[in-house]
Amino acid sequence: MAKLTFVTESGEEITENDATGNLMEIARQNDVDGIIGACGGVCSCATCHVRVKPEWMERVGRPGEDEQDLLELEDRADERSRLSCQIEMTEELDGLVVEVTPL
Amino acid sequence: MSKCPYHDPFAEKREKGPVLETEFDGDPVAMILGLKDVRKAARDWSTFSSEAPFRVPIPREEHLRSVRQFPIESDPPEHSEYRKIVEPAFNRPNELEYQLRMRSLIQEMITEVISLGSIEAISDFALPLQSRALTLLLGVPESEADVWIKWGVHVLRDRDGPTKGREMENYCMKAFEKCSSWEENNFFSLLNEATFHGRFLTDEEKLGFANLAFAGGRDTVINTVCLILAHLAHHPDDLERLRKEPELVNCAGEEFVRFATPLTHIGRKCPVDTEVHGVKVKADKLISLCWASANFDDTVFDKPTEIRLDRKPNPHVAFGNGAHTCLGAPHARLIIRTLLTQLTELVSSITYLSGQPKIEKTADYERVNSFESLQLRVNGL
Ligand code: HEM
Ligand code: HEM
Repeated sequence: MAKLTFVTESGEEITENDATGNLMEIARQNDVDGIIGACGGVCSCATCHVRVKPEWMERVGRPGEDEQDLLELEDRADERSRLSCQIEMTEELDGLVVEVTPL
Repeated sequence: MSKCPYHDPFAEKREKGPVLETEFDGDPVAMILGLKDVRKAARDWSTFSSEAPFRVPIPREEHLRSVRQFPIESDPPEHSEYRKIVEPAFNRPNELEYQLRMRSLIQEMITEVISLGSIEAISDFALPLQSRALTLLLGVPESEADVWIKWGVHVLRDRDGPTKGREMENYCMKAFEKCSSWEENNFFSLLNEATFHGRFLTDEEKLGFANLAFAGGRDTVINTVCLILAHLAHHPDDLERLRKEPELVNCAGEEFVRFATPLTHIGRKCPVDTEVHGVKVKADKLISLCWASANFDDTVFDKPTEIRLDRKPNPHVAFGNGAHTCLGAPHARLIIRTLLTQLTELVSSITYLSGQPKIEKTADYERVNSFESLQLRVNGL
């Protein structure tokens, strides 16, 4: 079982104790505010933007090339930015915390 | 991969510069063409304002409707409050029950057109589909669609004959009265009960919301549906591919919307004298965000005139960008994705019989924007 926590813009923490699938889908299942996932996870819309906590960045990894192209168009994106639809939950990521930052 | 050379009238204009200086309604309009520039401008609402009743759509619409449209013709912070009022209604497509109802609706309609033999895709399929699907979104009895279908493809702009705008407004006023007998939380009762700054909405505001729900989601959906049918008729291989790789449906749906970009551009007003990439725009004059050019920007999209079902990433702006991003997008996306899936489940092939293009002729460009009529045969599995 892998634990995953979203911190929304208003500071609310939402934790899923048995997280499987990609982060955008998990957020949608848990009604996390600020994660919309409008395009259904095909890297079109950037409505599932999160910032990964610095201590987790290495394990989560950098955005892929496609994802980076999309993030570059966003003013509020920075070096901790990821599109949550592109992060697959694994046992290795047990305890992961991401901040929801609508773009 | 074939391509339609008529699909990007802005390619040459983009080579010449970031802005096309043109005119509509006898007034200058500076059209912003590049994807990144369009996205930036769409987010900069203080420089490029939507506080311009009847002038956000181009050409302007005061002769077509009596009310300012909400939430589109307003700026933050009021815009966000207006938008919140209708957000619950527009997010209903995220519910499973809604998705199942959409699936049976589209199944039923495809089965029907298969049985008809040859069809005219707009009147026999796309228009009734759009209207009946809208009854789900607005939460009204499906029989109401019979009235809406009679308004035609463009309830506001109709090339021949009088516009049905007045009829639609009269219909809406009556709907606000009788909506208490429809299902709970329908779109009209939601507006009846909504408050803004501690007061109920005025009749004009309510009508402005309803007006946009009917006008904004009409030819956009119809054009996209027709484009999908025409494309699959020309490219049976793409229908086969979707059958074999159903996981491509979301991705393909985005690509069809990009390629169709049914809304060519949308206006914004400059409240003060503004320089836009070297072009001077006087106070109170318009710029436009040209979604149709942005979506074919070859500095962002590889071979943009090709339809690639697996295009990814696909940062298109067919649904707009920023605060006014299309509220109807979850509904439109559901229609498109369900249509694609159901075609793979029910249809062996589509035969293209004939089609007549619908052309947007303006002072400086001509854009083929879907079909005036489209004859097809839909062959069952
Ligand atoms: C493929 C179909 C559609 C396309 C391409 C499309 C396109 C757009 C675009 C580009 C905008 C942004 C306008 C702006 O920036 O000023 C927009 C806004 C809007 N659309 Fe759509 N639309 C579609 C379907 C629909 C449907 C089905 C509905 C409703 C039934 C709808 C309702 C709206 C509303 C209410 C807004 C205003 C949002 C706001 O101002 O906050 N649209 N649409
Ligand atoms: C003035 C009217 C039009 C002309 C002259 C025209 C011309 C063409 C030509 C020559 C092709 C084939 C290109 C090739 O095979 O390499 C094509 C393909 C296509 N056209 Fe058009 N077209 C017109 C209107 C439209 C309209 C109204 C639509 C629908 C929005 C449309 C959608 C398509 C599509 C979907 C393809 C196939 C593109 C692909 O699958 O990659 N065309 N068109």
